Amino acid sequence: MTHTINLTAQSRPEVMERVLRVVRHRGFALNSVEMNNCTTSNTLSIKLTVSGERPISNLENQLKKLYDVSQLELCQTQGMNESAVAMNA
Amino acid sequence: MTGAELVLKVLQQHGIKHIFGYPGGAIMPIYDALYDSDVQHFLCRHEQGAAFSAIGYARSTGTVGVCMATSGPGATNLVTGLADAMMDSVPVVAITGQVFSSLIGTDAFQEMDVLGMSLSITKHSFLVQSLDELADVLHQAFELAQSGRPGPVLVDIPKDIQIGSVDFEPYPIAQREFPTPSQDDIAQARDMIGAAQKPLFYVGGGVGAADAINEMQDLLEYTQIPAISTLKALGTVPTEYPYNLGFVGMHGNQAANLAVQECDLLICTGARFDDRVTGKLDTFAPHAKVIHLDIDPAEISKLRKADVSILANFKKLLPELKVAPHTPEWLARASGLIAEYAWRYDYPGEQIYAPRLLNQLSKTLPHDHVVSCDVGQHQMWVAQHMLFTSPRNHLSSGGAGTMGFGLPVAIGAQVARPDSVSVVVSGDGSFMMNVQELGTIKRFNLPVKIVLLDNQRLGMVKQWQELFFEERYSETNLSDNPDFVTLAKAFDIPALSIDKADQVDNALQTMINSDGPFLLHVQIDDKENVWPLVPPGKANDDMLEGNNT
Repeated sequence: MTHTINLTAQSRPEVMERVLRVVRHRGFALNSVEMNNCTTSNTLSIKLTVSGERPISNLENQLKKLYDVSQLELCQTQGMNESAVAMNA
Repeated sequence: MTGAELVLKVLQQHGIKHIFGYPGGAIMPIYDALYDSDVQHFLCRHEQGAAFSAIGYARSTGTVGVCMATSGPGATNLVTGLADAMMDSVPVVAITGQVFSSLIGTDAFQEMDVLGMSLSITKHSFLVQSLDELADVLHQAFELAQSGRPGPVLVDIPKDIQIGSVDFEPYPIAQREFPTPSQDDIAQARDMIGAAQKPLFYVGGGVGAADAINEMQDLLEYTQIPAISTLKALGTVPTEYPYNLGFVGMHGNQAANLAVQECDLLICTGARFDDRVTGKLDTFAPHAKVIHLDIDPAEISKLRKADVSILANFKKLLPELKVAPHTPEWLARASGLIAEYAWRYDYPGEQIYAPRLLNQLSKTLPHDHVVSCDVGQHQMWVAQHMLFTSPRNHLSSGGAGTMGFGLPVAIGAQVARPDSVSVVVSGDGSFMMNVQELGTIKRFNLPVKIVLLDNQRLGMVKQWQELFFEERYSETNLSDNPDFVTLAKAFDIPALSIDKADQVDNALQTMINSDGPFLLHVQIDDKENVWPLVPPGKANDDMLEGNNT
């Protein structure tokens, strides 16, 4: 499954490393990344496209825990309905 | 004042009286400021020892532990301790010196990318970019370490920032904020508890981390719901609670493991469905609906789908769940399991049986004590056979399982709680991993009591080799251990060695009654294993049984 995530983060030099590390460690592959620096608000807008078989909610939750991440939105999931992303019950 | 002096000021503002560390070139300005400070520094003999002592300080008190190290190898030596704190949600602030800002990225002497190394083993980390942000970063570090799910935070401070001039401004300490739970969710949880026929509390370390031990105990007393405990929760459920089923998981009590397989409602309270608890995940608590209570949203439905989840401050949430279900058959079943699977200590022969020694130790210690342990067979025996009145009295490396944990953690606990008896239970493998901290014990004459269970093996690995690797004992023989009594005496620490069961009582009394530090070397049979055991990949009701159940 492929997922698109938009997030806003405080502009710190290591933010992108933090985000990409979490994506990798939590079992997702990075397909594409786009980053824009908003100097007036000192924030970064980051758009990620990732793929993986694990529940995307796990990745969302881990990214939201990053101290520098202020907003996160899961925009799109392709390959299967999001509702069908089953947890291990 | 200098940036270095500011660091000490901020520590004091956050109530820090004791820190653990090791100096070096890039952190010398902070150590110079420390020379005139009221903050007491405990010089450890290795930075890993400093990190673990900070963990012991934090876990035994529920406050923040602080450790310091220089750049490069000083910082890398902190890494294992910080990873341990991360896995077990321990509030630690680590301060590292860094080379001058202008030298970062030039491969200068002792220059390493500490921020980069910290990313996966801290809750957050900072490389201070300017003197202007130093105070704010330090305050954020303390707030972050303690807020939400606690964890380690690292602050890397370049030397030019330490020696620069800055004004100190008082900083208002922020009140901790908590999520507000939905009243609908609370009502649903209450309904589920009230309707359950076989409810079971699955108590984790989050209760102690939330300082909600009393609230948990009140809830158990009111509801009379049976309870199982994770390694980190031991001491939360009172030992005298009639439905305390004990330690759950791979080496848990059979009563706990069987009850969890039978329950119809599992109330997960600050636990995380760790694989050492669940065994084969899709067989864990197969008949149960799940209520998951936590402070960390990332734990909800991470491994086991929750039917109801509530994110909240446990101190306020737990009293709201006081519903007493009517489940006489289930309570009788729990009582029956507890009676049927009580530990036995009728071990034949003259040799020392470690589980019985630990149970005796537990009954011999004064009420105010804290036990730290290392990792391996002895760790599981401590969890099984020692009795605790608070999770702050049982310090064990849970998530990371770090050998070498025990001795420096016991040092931190002793510094934090000078009136408590601080005991470390170690194994001969683990003990040698941070044995240099005997020097710290002696330097500060800390009355830490050391029980060293020596089977001349890496016992837990050997046990798995015996059971799962056709008795191919690869690299687990430690029969060339040093003479531990002589080793202790080299640090001017009194020591005694015993190898017979009838020596145990007197030896424990001698150790506990000693004024200062003491090492009790206990020779045990290398054939003793930890039982019961849920084999890897098996369900929790598929236990191997041995001779101590």
